[in-house]
Amino acid sequence: MSGNPSAIPGARFMDPVVLARIGNLELVSRAVCDGFINGLHKAPYFGASVDFAEHRGYVPGDDVRRMDWRVWARTDRYYIKEYEAETNANFSVLLDISKSMNYGSRGITKLQYASILTACLTNLVHHQRDRVGLVTFDNDIVDFVPSSAKHMDVVLHTLERITPGRPGNLTVPLHKLAEHFGRRGVLVVISDFYEDPEVIVDAVTPLRFRGNDLIVFHVLDPAELEFGFTDAQAFEDLETGEQMPVVPDALRKEYVELVKAHTEALQAKFSEVRVDYSLLDTSKPLDHALYRFLSGREKRLRSR
Amino acid sequence: MSFLAPLFFVALAGLAVPVLIHLIQREKKQIQQFPSLMFVRRIPYKSVQRRRIHNWLLLLVRMAALLLIVAAFARPFFASGNMAAAGVQGAREVVILVDQSYSLGYGDRWAQARAAAYAAVNGLGPSDRASLVFFSTGADIALKSSVDKPPLNAAIAAAEPGVGATRYAPALKVAGSLLAESTLPRREVVLISDFQRNGWRGEEGARLPPGTLLTPVAVSGGSGANLSVTSVSFVHSTFSDQERVAVTAAIVNRSMAASKGSGVTLEFGGRSIQSQSVALDAEGTASVTFDPVTITGRNMRGTVRLGADALLPDNAFNFTVSPAEPVRVVVADRGTAGAALHLTRAMAIGDAPKFETTVREPDAISEDDLRGAAVVVLNDVTVSAALGRRLVRFVESGGGLFVAAGPRAVWPDGANLLPATLLQPVDRTQGDAGRVGGLEFGHPVFEPFRAPRSGDFSVARFYGYRAVKPVEGAQVLASFDTGTPALVERRVGAGRVLLWASTLDLSWSDLPLKPVYLPFVHQVLRHLSVYAQTTPWLTVGQVLDPAAGTSRGVTPSGRVALTPSGHRVPLDEEGADVLPLDETGFYSVRSGLGDAELAVVASNVDSAESDLTTMDPKDIVAATLGAPTGVPGGGTGLPQTREAQEGSQRIWWYLLFAGVLLLGADTLLSNRLSKS
Repeated sequence: MSGNPSAIPGARFMDPVVLARIGNLELVSRAVCDGFINGLHKAPYFGASVDFAEHRGYVPGDDVRRMDWRVWARTDRYYIKEYEAETNANFSVLLDISKSMNYGSRGITKLQYASILTACLTNLVHHQRDRVGLVTFDNDIVDFVPSSAKHMDVVLHTLERITPGRPGNLTVPLHKLAEHFGRRGVLVVISDFYEDPEVIVDAVTPLRFRGNDLIVFHVLDPAELEFGFTDAQAFEDLETGEQMPVVPDALRKEYVELVKAHTEALQAKFSEVRVDYSLLDTSKPLDHALYRFLSGREKRLRSR
Repeated sequence: MSFLAPLFFVALAGLAVPVLIHLIQREKKQIQQFPSLMFVRRIPYKSVQRRRIHNWLLLLVRMAALLLIVAAFARPFFASGNMAAAGVQGAREVVILVDQSYSLGYGDRWAQARAAAYAAVNGLGPSDRASLVFFSTGADIALKSSVDKPPLNAAIAAAEPGVGATRYAPALKVAGSLLAESTLPRREVVLISDFQRNGWRGEEGARLPPGTLLTPVAVSGGSGANLSVTSVSFVHSTFSDQERVAVTAAIVNRSMAASKGSGVTLEFGGRSIQSQSVALDAEGTASVTFDPVTITGRNMRGTVRLGADALLPDNAFNFTVSPAEPVRVVVADRGTAGAALHLTRAMAIGDAPKFETTVREPDAISEDDLRGAAVVVLNDVTVSAALGRRLVRFVESGGGLFVAAGPRAVWPDGANLLPATLLQPVDRTQGDAGRVGGLEFGHPVFEPFRAPRSGDFSVARFYGYRAVKPVEGAQVLASFDTGTPALVERRVGAGRVLLWASTLDLSWSDLPLKPVYLPFVHQVLRHLSVYAQTTPWLTVGQVLDPAAGTSRGVTPSGRVALTPSGHRVPLDEEGADVLPLDETGFYSVRSGLGDAELAVVASNVDSAESDLTTMDPKDIVAATLGAPTGVPGGGTGLPQTREAQEGSQRIWWYLLFAGVLLLGADTLLSNRLSKS
């Protein structure tokens, strides 16, 4: 389909477990994204930097050079012609690396999945000449890679060496970051969101205050979604170390309902604040997440 | 379906065990790490505890196995209908056996026994009959087959513990005979006792009629030290020509309570002579030796008495002490120096009895010598006709004659006294010397030599002996190796004659140099003098010695026995002379005419009764009813006990087997499940 030699045939639908085994994030992200991009229609996303956005009435102080003289000629009124921002956008991934992310029941942990996703998204955005950055956090900010067109390698390197260590807390690090991201850009938050929906939304929403586009990926392991355990045993909380005797069969139904209610609540609340929310299952290929990202971005572009 | 031990069903609570295993076991297997327990924590904990059973089959198998095992231990059986039917119909013949031995005086045992007897009487129905038997060493029927309760209760109220020892066999035999006479359909024996082990010595032939129900009622209890004097021993000595005796008493503490400083008193003639103090540990023994006491006369009445304790009858021990009476022996010797040396030296040794020897030439033996002698020894001498006649009268009146027939022994023809006719001497100096063999070990003379290594006569060599021909009625007690009689006995009148066909010195044999010589001479003289050591005491239940108060075969007529309680019991003049001792103390045998005291017999309780160790009454039940499980009637179609029915059906065995099988299946099943 394409002449790109780095493209791995079929990588798009490759099992995340297999991708995790490859280890080299650059290779993985290029394989996934190249294959992905090659399969997409290019027109809506490339070369659209000087698109007309809207007209608005002239107010004193506006640059007269942006006045639409044709409209003045037909209507004898002053209108200013506004265009879509043309400059390269900032793209940053805010990656949760708390201990709970270091869980995986099927050969890949949530953190590995999120890392691959981050690498893929970064790779995708980097191809568009956008500036890429990365922030990792648990209960505080751990790594901060500022957005830059040259930081692709730094981002990948940072992703390679992250180690989950501390329990997570969304509010503290995200509130700090909200003050930091002053320039409009695209922010992607990837976490397992083990907090109350209100707390999560309260923590995440401030990131939008300065005009950032916000995309939230909720990464969960299939075991967290389905609770497919059979043996009665003690369950230990990865973050707190608390143990609790559990008979899975007895509480599976209630557990699944609670998780479902949780994700639905997140979905609803993020929708209210116009944040894209996606629930990702680590057993599913990455394509779902990428589609979600791109389609969401398309919507946003159209809505402007 | 009935159960012999239904209390085992309490163990059914164990059925919860497999359920708990099901629910708990897997939980402990490993710890599952999970990102967050946020949602798990929100589920009410109750629902977490309410765990589901994973494998119903495994659970059911385990519970069934436990159920079967518990049921097996409960000993199930199918009750046969005839038992109930036969067991409740018809009048009863009840024999109430009440132990009256002195051990019942320990604690409140007698009150318990009396209450049990009352209960047995009051449990009688209107058509029932009851016999009341008090037993200890023997058994006395107080009331026989009575339908009235008041006399029975009155007899029980009047009874008190005696001084006898417990013996179950006589009582059970009496009960058996009473039941055998009964025509009532149901027969029962109620045995009320403290069931001392000493009272039962095996079956003893006591059998109850088939179908008899034997109900043992055990009484027990009591506390406190229980000391008893079990025996006394004497050491005689002579001081200033007066015989003295030192008494040593053996004292046993039969209880688990230690005794600190109990007083022990030696009494003679009812007066306290000496006192000592003795301390005994629990179940300890001690001996107390008193200072020697001068023996002042015959039949001195002595008592060793302990201070009061929980059981009194065994605290006093009675005995009699008399001066030692020597056996007077007249030795007829030919006067040759040293001829009777070995004989007299042998007789000079020993205290029981002490031989008082008088050596005379045959013609010098006077009537006085014979009157005071118990035995005359003719040591290879020639007997004149006159002496022969006097010896015949001496022997016929109860005297003993020992004749050693050497080369010079000549017996007058007119005196028919010897057990054998003397013939020519046999010379064994050539060739092998003669040996003595063929001893009659059943005879009192040789009885001490019966056991192996108790004396060997064959080591003595005989170089000469007299050939003898036993007369009619004589008994050959020993023979030489040629078959010639060596020792021959004959009873003449009230006395005995022993003929030894060789010498008692070294002229014909080396027997005097052999170890058997001394005991042989002593045994011969004891036998001929009818020596019997007087028994210093007897035990309650034994009979009065028929020879008490007799001397040299002379039995005074009209003897009476004066019991310790003062009753005069005439002794049977026809010779039965049987008076069972049923009191402790001193029985005095007196002549009926002059009321002179002929003999005194001390009577004591059986000290074995002081040992309160108990036995299992089931042993008696099994022995007397003829079935090891106590089955009345021995399976002759009569009602069986529950134990017997259960024992014959053995359902428990099948249940246990099935339970074990199920446990095996459970193991296989659980292994398979765990692998899968």
